[in-house]
This record gives sequence, C-alpha cells and structure tokens, in this order.
Amino acid sequence: MRDPEARQGTPTGDGYTCRFEQGAREGTLILNMGPQHPSTHGVLRVLLELDGEYIVRAEPVLGYLHRMHEKMGEVKAAGQFMPNMGRVDYLHALAWNWAYAGAVERLADIKVPERAEYLRVIVTELNRISSHLLWWGAYLLDLGAFTPIMYAFDDREKLLDILQIPTGSRLTYSYFRFGGVYADVPDSFTQRIREFIPHMRSRLPMYKALVTDNMILRHRIEDVGIIPEEMCVRYGATGPVVRGAGVPYDVRRAEPYGIYDRFDFDIPVHTECCSMARYMVRIDEMEQSLRIVEQAVAQLPAGDHVNAKAPKPTGKLPAGETYFAVEGARGKIGVWLVSDGGKTPYRVKLRAPGFSNLHLFAECARGTLLADAVAILGSLDMVIPEIDR
Amino acid sequence: METMLRALNPLYLAREDATRTGLAWTVHLAPQALQGAARVFLDAGLHLEDICGLDVKEGLCIVYHFDGMEAFSRVEVRVMVPHDAPEVSSIAAVYAGAEWHERETADFYGVVFTGNPNPAPLLMPEGMQGYPLCKEPSARASLAATCATEGRGAEVLHSEDGFTLLDAPAPAPGAKQEKPARKPKEAADDA
Repeated sequence: MRDPEARQGTPTGDGYTCRFEQGAREGTLILNMGPQHPSTHGVLRVLLELDGEYIVRAEPVLGYLHRMHEKMGEVKAAGQFMPNMGRVDYLHALAWNWAYAGAVERLADIKVPERAEYLRVIVTELNRISSHLLWWGAYLLDLGAFTPIMYAFDDREKLLDILQIPTGSRLTYSYFRFGGVYADVPDSFTQRIREFIPHMRSRLPMYKALVTDNMILRHRIEDVGIIPEEMCVRYGATGPVVRGAGVPYDVRRAEPYGIYDRFDFDIPVHTECCSMARYMVRIDEMEQSLRIVEQAVAQLPAGDHVNAKAPKPTGKLPAGETYFAVEGARGKIGVWLVSDGGKTPYRVKLRAPGFSNLHLFAECARGTLLADAVAILGSLDMVIPEIDR
Repeated sequence: METMLRALNPLYLAREDATRTGLAWTVHLAPQALQGAARVFLDAGLHLEDICGLDVKEGLCIVYHFDGMEAFSRVEVRVMVPHDAPEVSSIAAVYAGAEWHERETADFYGVVFTGNPNPAPLLMPEGMQGYPLCKEPSARASLAATCATEGRGAEVLHSEDGFTLLDAPAPAPGAKQEKPARKPKEAADDA
C-alpha cells in the first residue's frame, strides 16, 4: 500500500489520478483498474479508492477509444457516414445502422418498402441475440467460469454465418441503406433461420440448467450492484438496466419504429434491481427476439428490398432536425440529426446507451467489494467504443 | 405536460409533430431558467437522454433532450449562449447523469458548465487546444436555417416578444438552404 503521506508530496500519475487522490481519506489505497484490465472489455479505466477490500469511491476515466464519430458525421455526406455506425457499437451494429438510417429517412421523408422493413427487423433481432450471447459468455468469463463462452460462441457463430449472407460481414455491419437495405436475401437465409430458431430454443434450457441455476453464480451476482428505478432516471439509464429495475421501458414499445407494432412479443422485466435481474432480462430477451424473428420470417413479403426512388447516399439532405431512437441491446440509442441543407449534415449527435449506463457505476459501486466491481461492470454490458464514440 | 412547460416561463414553446422530427416538444429557455426546469422535469419522472451543442451564427445553442419512461414525451430544451462567453449553470446536482454529458459538451464546444462537480476533460486529452465541433464563423448557419418552426408541423404555443431566432430566414442570394425546411424529395434529389 502506498504511504498516505506520499499523497502530500509530489503527485504521481496523470491529472485524473492526481485530482482523485486529493479527495482521498487517510489510510485508503488508490488503485487504477484498467485501462488494460481483462474485465473492462476494451479500454476502460476506473480509478478506485479502496478501504481494505471495499470501494470508497470510484471514477471511470473515458476517452481511450474516442474517435470523434460525431465530427466524421459532419464532414461526410450522409450515406458515407453509414459504415461508421457498425464501428460505434460493434456488438449491435445493426441497431446503430437503424438509428442513423431512421434519422435520415425521417428528415428526408424517405419511404421504406415492406420487405425491407421485415428484413430490418430480422437482422436487427438476430444481431441482438448475438450481442446478448457474447455478453453472456464474456460476463461469465469475468466471473471465473470459462466454459459458457465456448457454448455461446458456438451459437453465435451460427448467427454470424446467417447474418453474413445478406450483409457480407460478420461484425461491423453496414447493411442499412436510406430507404431499405443493401441486398435482398436468398431462400437459404430464411431456411437457415428456420433451422436456427428451434436449435436456439433447445439451447436456452441447457444454459439455464448449466449456468443460470448455478449456486456459485447466484451467490456472486444476486443482491450485488443495486440500481433502482430512481437512479436510472437520474442517470438516463435504459435497456436491460432499467428493465432490471422493474420498469418496462423499451423503445420498441414506447416509441415504435419500423414495424415493431405488428409483432407479438413481451418486454421482460425483473424487479430485483441487482446484477442477477439484469442478467435475467437479457436471457429472457433472447427468447423474445426469437419470437419476433419467427413471426417476421413467416410474414416476410415479396417485393423490393430498397426504395428505388430514394435519394443517392451522397445527396444533400433537406434542412431541418430530427431525433430517432431505437432499442439497442444496451438500451436507447438516439441519433439527433441537424441539417442546413448543405452537402453534409450540420450536426450528428449520437446518444449511446452505454454512456449513461456506465456513468451510474460510481454511485452504485460505493461501499461494495472490489470483486463485486467486476460483477457490476459486467452486468452493465459495456461496449467501450460506443461509450467513447 | 403543456401546463408544466408553460410554467417554466419559456422564451418559446412548441408542440412538435413527432412523425417528422421525433420530438414531442421544443422549448427555448433563458440560461437562468435551466436549473429550475431540470428540477421540474425530474419531479415529473423524465429522464435525461443527452446534452449536446449546436454551433450557429447567433451563438452556441446547448441542447438537452428529456423523455418520459411511461409515455413518449421527448422535450428538446435549447439554451442559447454567446460565443465569447459560453457559460450556463450545471444541472448535475439535479440529474446526476448530466455530469458526463456536460463534460463532453465542454470538450467539444468549450462551454463552461458552472457547478459541474468534476469539470475535467472527459473524452479529449488534457491540455488540448481548440474545440473539435466548433465551426469556422464562415461555416456557421443560422439556427433558423436548421431548426426553423416553419414547415415541420409544429404548433407554436408561446413565443416571447422579441424572440426571433426561429423565424423563417429571409431568402439570401444563392443559398439553397433558405428553401422552406420541408420539401424533402426535391431537396434531396438535386444532389
């Protein structure tokens, strides 16, 4: 442990550490967790003040993956910015595709053909499952269980194979176009989804028996990291975080976009406010996404996959402003698009759900064990590139 | 909602057409009215979606988005501050989540949020010169060129005397953007 008196002398570390040290109590330890810690999934750094094993204060330090996407949005034509979306959140890239395409379509009043609406739902929900699967495997890895991620990646691999058919990529999708999607799908696409749905449904009970009902996991995450509704409202936390606090808030219901109002699905809610509640919300959501995909594949109409009359991707947007929100795997994604009618958008604001979700960590972690910090961070399902943008 | 927003003494208040803008309400507030408004929004159960800036001719427009969890009610709150003294009071004491959004806006635009509990850079390196999202004065559009009331289906409920920021711009020679805001197909196709 560092000598407390050393804090009075020449400061060490960068500005964040120096400032953080100034508010420290006597006899506590200042610890930098990250930015290269395996449980921070990318490069998140958390400054911690520890009293023994207990967290007195915490402060996440961001910016290690900041790429200034919002500036790129201002210097490229609207269509040229679309590939950036898959790089903002690489786990649910298609939801970000949708948020940006939706904002442009709403601003320029571009209609989307029926078939494209269904394809959007199918790929976005499959992508949500693949995001939740990766979170599930990685979270258990953080908690010391090595095997689950092998199962998760087995299923995820099948999903990536399916998504690769229309999108041509496996991670940083750029499949949406203004007025539709990039490519139509062959019959093999729907056929493989029809095979995947029963397969996934046979796996979910096994995951429950193997992992979710496991007492070691439950002792590790139940009643850990309490995030009540009131805290979610103050921080703007959404997605599984707020639904784990008993609030059935889901953009697909609250502010329906695309054709989500046509499908029969539930919004899973758990009321315990702890890491286990957030865990259960995501597990339950996988089944709901399967239900949506099942209905969408059954109803998939024939027709165009893109509006042939849609403006060119490099075209000008009409002047005006618009906000478009979608439900990503981590919560509410928002794009605020402002145009003055010029060649490039005037302003593109990206609202990342992880940004607000992670912010409450400092308050939530106060007084918990250091080992629980990992259980709490993982339960927030962070994607650092999205938080830093 | 309308009664609540009117009680904030806004400079401007409009009910928006959500199918066109994704917003339910637009409010312009004087900087000193912001904190009180935040408290009202929190008591009404609205959550903070984001805080961002918009660099326009008339000044720096600081934009706050709030929304309800029980019913869609997105409010866009705009506060205009001058370029040479961009300062507004922090709402982090009310909405804890505002702290990071304000730090980000400070990084990108140089806005000073008085009372922010931790005004260190959030995403930009410490000691960086300049603000990446501030525009060259020649590249700035007027607020009305982007967010004019006209042509977006908004219903203006209140506009203070002398509030002209959102009046449709007078046609300027050679400027395409001066067309009414909503002529989507033609404007988008002429690229």
